[in-house]
Amino acid sequence: MKKGFIFSVAAVALSSATLHAGSFQLNLQGLRQTAMGGSGVAFPWDVSTIFYNPGGLARLNGIQAYAGVFGVSPTVRYVPDNSGETYAETKRHLSTPFAVYAGGTLSKDSRWALGLGIYTPFGSSANWSNDWTGRFITQSISLQSIYFQPTVSYRINDLISVGAGFVYGTGSVTIKKALPVQDMNGTEGQAVLDGKANGVGFNAGVHIKASNNLQFGLSYRSGVRMKVNGGDASFSVPAALAANFPRTAFDATLPLPGILTLGVAAKVTPRLTLQGDLVWAGWKSYDSLKFDFVQNTASLADSKEPRLYRNTLAVRIGGHYEICKQFAVMVGGAFDPTPSNARYVSPDAVDADRFSLSAGLSYAVIDKLSIMAAVNYTTTAGRQVKYEPANFSGEYQIKSLVPAIGITYKF
Amino acid sequence: MKASYIPLIAAAAMLASCKPTIKGVTPSSGEANFSYYVAIGNSLTAGYADGSLYRSGQENSYPAMLGKQFMTVGGGEFRQPLLPGNAGWPAPKRVLGYTTSCDGVTGLGVKLYAGASDTSGSSTNISGQGPFNNLGIPGIRCVDYTVAGYAAFAQALAGVGYAARIYPHPATDRPIDIAAATNPTFFTMWLGSNDVLGYATNGGEGNGTGGAMPTDISTTAAFEASYNAVVDAMTLKGAKGVLINIPDVTTIPYFTTIPGRGLVLSTPTQVAALNAAYAPLGITFALGANAFIIQDPAAPGGLRQIKNNEYLLLTLPQDSLKCGGWGSVKPIPKKYVLDETEVGYVRSATNTFNEIIRAAAIRKGLGYVDAHSYLGTLQSGIRFNGVTLTPTFVSGGAFSLDGVHLTPKGYALMANEIIRVINSTYKSSVPQVDINNYNGVLFP
Repeated sequence: MKKGFIFSVAAVALSSATLHAGSFQLNLQGLRQTAMGGSGVAFPWDVSTIFYNPGGLARLNGIQAYAGVFGVSPTVRYVPDNSGETYAETKRHLSTPFAVYAGGTLSKDSRWALGLGIYTPFGSSANWSNDWTGRFITQSISLQSIYFQPTVSYRINDLISVGAGFVYGTGSVTIKKALPVQDMNGTEGQAVLDGKANGVGFNAGVHIKASNNLQFGLSYRSGVRMKVNGGDASFSVPAALAANFPRTAFDATLPLPGILTLGVAAKVTPRLTLQGDLVWAGWKSYDSLKFDFVQNTASLADSKEPRLYRNTLAVRIGGHYEICKQFAVMVGGAFDPTPSNARYVSPDAVDADRFSLSAGLSYAVIDKLSIMAAVNYTTTAGRQVKYEPANFSGEYQIKSLVPAIGITYKF
Repeated sequence: MKASYIPLIAAAAMLASCKPTIKGVTPSSGEANFSYYVAIGNSLTAGYADGSLYRSGQENSYPAMLGKQFMTVGGGEFRQPLLPGNAGWPAPKRVLGYTTSCDGVTGLGVKLYAGASDTSGSSTNISGQGPFNNLGIPGIRCVDYTVAGYAAFAQALAGVGYAARIYPHPATDRPIDIAAATNPTFFTMWLGSNDVLGYATNGGEGNGTGGAMPTDISTTAAFEASYNAVVDAMTLKGAKGVLINIPDVTTIPYFTTIPGRGLVLSTPTQVAALNAAYAPLGITFALGANAFIIQDPAAPGGLRQIKNNEYLLLTLPQDSLKCGGWGSVKPIPKKYVLDETEVGYVRSATNTFNEIIRAAAIRKGLGYVDAHSYLGTLQSGIRFNGVTLTPTFVSGGAFSLDGVHLTPKGYALMANEIIRVINSTYKSSVPQVDINNYNGVLFP
C-alpha cells in the first residue's frame, strides 16, 4: 500500500517538473543519480561522486568500490517531408556504457580522499540501414569513449570540501556513408572513416554541507577536444573513379563541451531527500565538424559540416526515499533542451528537447554490499528540422529506455 | 491493494511508448481522381535514355514513377509497352567505357553497348496487350498528333517503329485518337519538345522560322492547333491533369559539353602559324584558350570564330577536333554548330510554344508544370537528400549519356516537380518520389 502511494505522488510531482544530457552526451555515470533524473552534484551518495562532484569524495567514510552498467538502445524515427506515411528508423543496437569507481577517504577521519573513475561520458550509435534515403549523409555512426579520472579531494572543514581530477579521454569513431557514384550494376559507393581519438581535461568541484539536512554542490567538467589523428578513410567506388577516391588518412576533432553544474540537496524528512541540479553546457564550442583528408582530389575535398550548436541549461531533479535501512527507492526527471540548430540537424546526430523520467532502487544485501537498479525513459516530441547542406528535411522523434544495474562495496 | 498496481501500470505504459510514434501525412487525392492515369508525350515520357529505348529505362520513366505514387491515392495499375530487353532498340544504348582517341590516349568515354542483344521481338505489334497508360512515343512532335497514319509515316521516314509497335492500325491511326480513346480520369502531357529539338540537334540545318519536317521548327499555327486539339480531346470527358512545358534545349549537355573556346594553343609556334594563316580574315589567336573556327557562309571567307552564345553539338567528332585540324586549320562544319541566329529561333519558338501551353492550362483549369524554369534551376545544382544533381555531362548525374534525355534520377526530379504542381492544383497529397532510389550515370 504505502510503497505504491509514494510512487504515485512522486510521479505527479515530476510530471510538471522539468529536468538533462543533450546530443551525444551521456548522462549515465551513476545508478542512484540516473534514477534521480541525473541529478547528484550536491549529495555524495557514494563513490560515483568522483564523476558528479569530486569535492564530495572527502565526505565518504572509508574506501568504496563501485561498478555499474547501462543498456542503451535508443530508436530514432525519421519521417521525410511530403512522402506520405513512409518513415525510417535506426536499427536497435545495444550499447553498454559503464562506470567503475574506487576510492574514498584514506582513513575514517582523514581529510584527504583519493579515487579513480573510469566512465563513458559520451557515446552515440545511430545505425540507419545501408539503403535508407539519407544514406549519402550517413549510414551509420558509432562514437565511443572511455575517460580515466584520477581524483583527489580534501575536506577543508565540516562546511567545505573540494576535489579535482585529471581527465584522460580515449575513444573511437566509425562513420559509414554511401557515395553517389554507381557501378555498372547500380551498386553505390561507400566511404568508411575509422579513427581513434583522445583528449585531456579536468573535473573539479566544491561540496558545501550547510547542515545535515542541507547541502550544496558546484562542479565544473572542462571541455575536452577529442582529436582523431591519422584516422583511416577508405572508399569503395567503381574502378574508373578509384583514382579520385584514394585511401587516405584523416584528422578530425570533436569538441566536447565544458559543463558547469550547481545543485542543492535537502533532507525534508529523515527518510526523504530531494535534490536538484541546474546544468549549463557550453555547446557553443561545437560550431562545425571538420574532416581534413591528407590526400585531396577533385572528388575528395576536406569537409566542414556546420553544426552551430548553442549553450544549454538543463534542469534535473530527483527524490530518494529510504523505506528501511536496507531498502531505498528513487525517482526523478529531467528536461534537456537541445543544443542543436534546427537548420543543421544531420541524421548522424539527431537531437531535440529531451524529457526524461527515471526511477530506481537500492538494496543493501549486507551492510557492506548494495545492489542498485535504475531505469531511465527519455523521449522527445516530434521535431521538424533540416540539414541544409544536404537539403535533407523531415521530422524526427527519439525514444529511449535505459535499464541499469550496479553494485557498490564499502571496505 | 489497488494502489500497488500503479507502478506496474506506469511501467507498462512506459514500455508501450518505447517506439517513436510520429507519422507522415496520409496521402489523399484531393479534387483529382487518379484511378486511371495516362501519360501523353514523346521520348521523355517513354523513358528514353542513353540514346535509345530499353526496358529498364521504361520502367524508370517519370510516368511509371507517378503511376506508382498514384497507387497510394486510388490509382490503378500503370501499364507500359515494355520492350523485351535492355540493350536498346532499335539502336544499342550508350554506356560508359574505355575508349582510345586518335592521339592514343585511353580514357573513360561514351560508347555503344556491345553486350549480347536481347531485342528480339521488339518490333512485334503489341497493341493487343493494350490499352497502355504510357503513350510516350520517342520522336513524336506535337504537330504529329493530328496526322493520320503517323506511325507508318514515322517508320518509313526514320526507320523508327515506336508508334507502329503499339498503335492498332499504324497506317491510319491518328495519335490524338489513340490518346483520347484511353479515356483517363487523369493525364499528364509533356508534348512539344521535338517541335524545336529536332531543329536544334541537327545544328539548325532545317527551317528555323517554321516548316513541316522533323528537322524544322514547327509552325506556330500548326503547333497551336494540334496542341489545343489534343488538350480538348483529353479533357472532353472531364479528365483532370497537368501540362508540362518545353525545357530550354540550349542548356542541355548536348549543346553545352564541348566548349566553344576549346582550341588550346600551347606554343608560340602554333599561335604564329594560325595568325599567319588567318591574317587575311583578321582573325587572331593567342596562347591558351581560343574560340574554334566554324563554318559560316555569311562570314568573309565562309568561316569565323565561334561566339560565346553559340553552341557545338555533342555529336561533333572529337577525333576530328584533336587530330583532323577541325576548329583550327579547318572550320567545324555548320551542321555541328547552333549559331546565334539558330539559337534565337529555338528560344523564340520555345517561348511561343510555352505561351500556348500555359494558355491551354489556364483555359482548361489544368495544372501547369514549368519544366523550362525548373530544369533551369538544375544549372546551379538541385540538391536532394545529400545528392547534388547538375546538368554536367556524365558527372552531373541528371542527364543520360545522350546529353538530351534524363537519367532515372533526373526523371525522378521531374516526377517530384510534377507531383508538387498536382498537389497544389488539386489540393491533393500525393507522396514525393525518393530520388535516391533511382540510378544516375553508371561507371565501369
